[in-house]
Amino acid sequence: MNAKFFILAVLLLASGVPLSAAQTLETTYRTNGPAVQAAFESVRGVLQTSSAVIKRGRDEIIYGTVISADGHILTKASELGETEGLTVTVGDKIYAEPVKLAEDIAWDVALLKIDARDLVPVSLALDLDDPARGSWVVANGATSRTRRRPQVGIISATAREIAPAGGPVLGVTLEEKSKKLVVTEIHEKSGAKSAGMKTGDRIIAAAGEAVSDREALGKVIEKMRVGDDLDLTVMRKGKKIELKVRLAGRADLFGEELTRNDSMSGDFSERRSGFARILQHDVIGNASTMGGPLLDLDGRCLGMNIARATRCETFAIPAADLKSLADRMISQAP
Amino acid sequence: MREISTAALTGILTCLLLVPARAEVARPVVNDKKAPEGRHDLEAIQKHLVGALPASRKATVCIDLGEGSGSGVVISPDGLILTAAHVTGGVGKEFTVIFEDGKKVKAESLGLVADTDAAMARITEEGSWPYVEVDRGDTSKLGDWVFSLGHSGGFDKERGVNVRLGRLVQVKEDTVQSDCSLIGGDSGGPLFDLTGKLIGIHSRVGLRTPENLHVPVREFLKNWDGMLKSEFIGEGPFAKKPEKGKGFLGLGTTARAEGGLKVDKVGRESPAEKAGLKEGDVILKMDGVELTTKEQFQELLKEKAPDDRVALELLRGGKTETLTLRLGER
Repeated sequence: MNAKFFILAVLLLASGVPLSAAQTLETTYRTNGPAVQAAFESVRGVLQTSSAVIKRGRDEIIYGTVISADGHILTKASELGETEGLTVTVGDKIYAEPVKLAEDIAWDVALLKIDARDLVPVSLALDLDDPARGSWVVANGATSRTRRRPQVGIISATAREIAPAGGPVLGVTLEEKSKKLVVTEIHEKSGAKSAGMKTGDRIIAAAGEAVSDREALGKVIEKMRVGDDLDLTVMRKGKKIELKVRLAGRADLFGEELTRNDSMSGDFSERRSGFARILQHDVIGNASTMGGPLLDLDGRCLGMNIARATRCETFAIPAADLKSLADRMISQAP
Repeated sequence: MREISTAALTGILTCLLLVPARAEVARPVVNDKKAPEGRHDLEAIQKHLVGALPASRKATVCIDLGEGSGSGVVISPDGLILTAAHVTGGVGKEFTVIFEDGKKVKAESLGLVADTDAAMARITEEGSWPYVEVDRGDTSKLGDWVFSLGHSGGFDKERGVNVRLGRLVQVKEDTVQSDCSLIGGDSGGPLFDLTGKLIGIHSRVGLRTPENLHVPVREFLKNWDGMLKSEFIGEGPFAKKPEKGKGFLGLGTTARAEGGLKVDKVGRESPAEKAGLKEGDVILKMDGVELTTKEQFQELLKEKAPDDRVALELLRGGKTETLTLRLGER
């Protein structure tokens, strides 16, 4: 399907020629101009003490969220890469050689440890409901060696699950011949492969329902979720065999098909779907500005930024989920 | 004593006279500050926004065109919608609109302004719809805090309407620019001031994220009556005028000696079939003109463009009836 979502992209002329009869607001007074950001100075203070800048050489690769006084930092795992050669800046102090203690694939979060004492961990807003649409939020913006800068926005949408992109798939190619559904190819990373499916298998039932064409099988699969196990009955050399196949995400096996909206979304996060629950906000950022805390006007931590999804959507792991994730990762860490 | 009470009464009367018949929501003070001066001003913006959201969300619809989608906003209880011309794409187009709660209703496009991207549509089902007020006084100014709503990337019931906050960063006669980030699917959606009044409709984006353009309400107000009357106003680039002679009916006919044209063939999936024309029907008149030859019928149709309506008077089973249908595109 190639649905069109309407918006026209135009080139705005940014030239020295004054636009006729146009009134223009000076940059400093725009939503993320310095004059407006100045009103968030107290919240900026929290970014200064409790967010981390993770660098490789001079490149900022991702931000982090300080969660313990003795140097535990959470960040976005898929942007981190190898920890060798990384430095972590908190406040104006630079810490070399962070250790990766744990990684959670489902949330795409890594737990780092730096050799520090007396850090100021974020204050997680655990006693609050989900922040209402329209509430101010503050995240990491550009940074200098010594100074964190804020980037501001609001909560944009209802907190929810973001299903893995592309939906669930078996990861096999099927041939449909005179009411027979035969497997002709199996993806190496698919659940079908690990369940022992073979080319030539003929699928006759899925989740207890008889299936003999792609449509019927598709109907069974579309009701399920990535990570669910699908019971399949196949015929192989005249024998009936039962298989339990774990469904994979289409994008995980076959990559994501980029849309027109993606092409106007700049440098978005590669991993931006498959989260059990997220807060959505409109703070402008890019793939490398994730990992830091999402703060409210009181400087309380509503969550951790985990994905720049599109031009107008950024996702954060909610505080309560972040807390249980952090506790689990710290307790399981070596 | 008496004099005093008279004075007091006069005072009360004066007060009553000064209160307008309909309470106007005051312009938020924070709009007249160059930048918020601290926590208090930030909270004022947030309070206005959170307060304005429930009503504005309810009236913001997804315009589902089948092969794609945009947004729109209902501005009257009987279902008048403002949206963008590049979303409706023409006059008299039928589509489905979806409210935030998932309710789907049928609608059709009315007029549009092709050179500024303004368009109007109407819900065609009976009902009383949630709506927002249009800023008819055209009171918004450069630097005002504004918020944009839309069904970004298509309808998503779990997510709901997507809201973004920004300021008016450039104001021109026929476009305004805000720094509320827009994306595909937002087109035609509403831009509001902090009191929840409609001040613009989303049109297009620049390459940089803070560049987002809207059609200001004054452009709608200027063309209101024409759009209500389903006029195609202006020459583009946001909508292409249907060309005369490209209208398509999908019928095969032969002339009858006694007048009228007998239908021999109705094209599958054609506008004629969809309108219920059948083989054996006799077409007596088109738009009130008696038909005598095929050539004459074709000449009349040549004057029509796609989406034009034609009224056909039919003789069917000994009775006459009139069918009104909309031409397709050849």
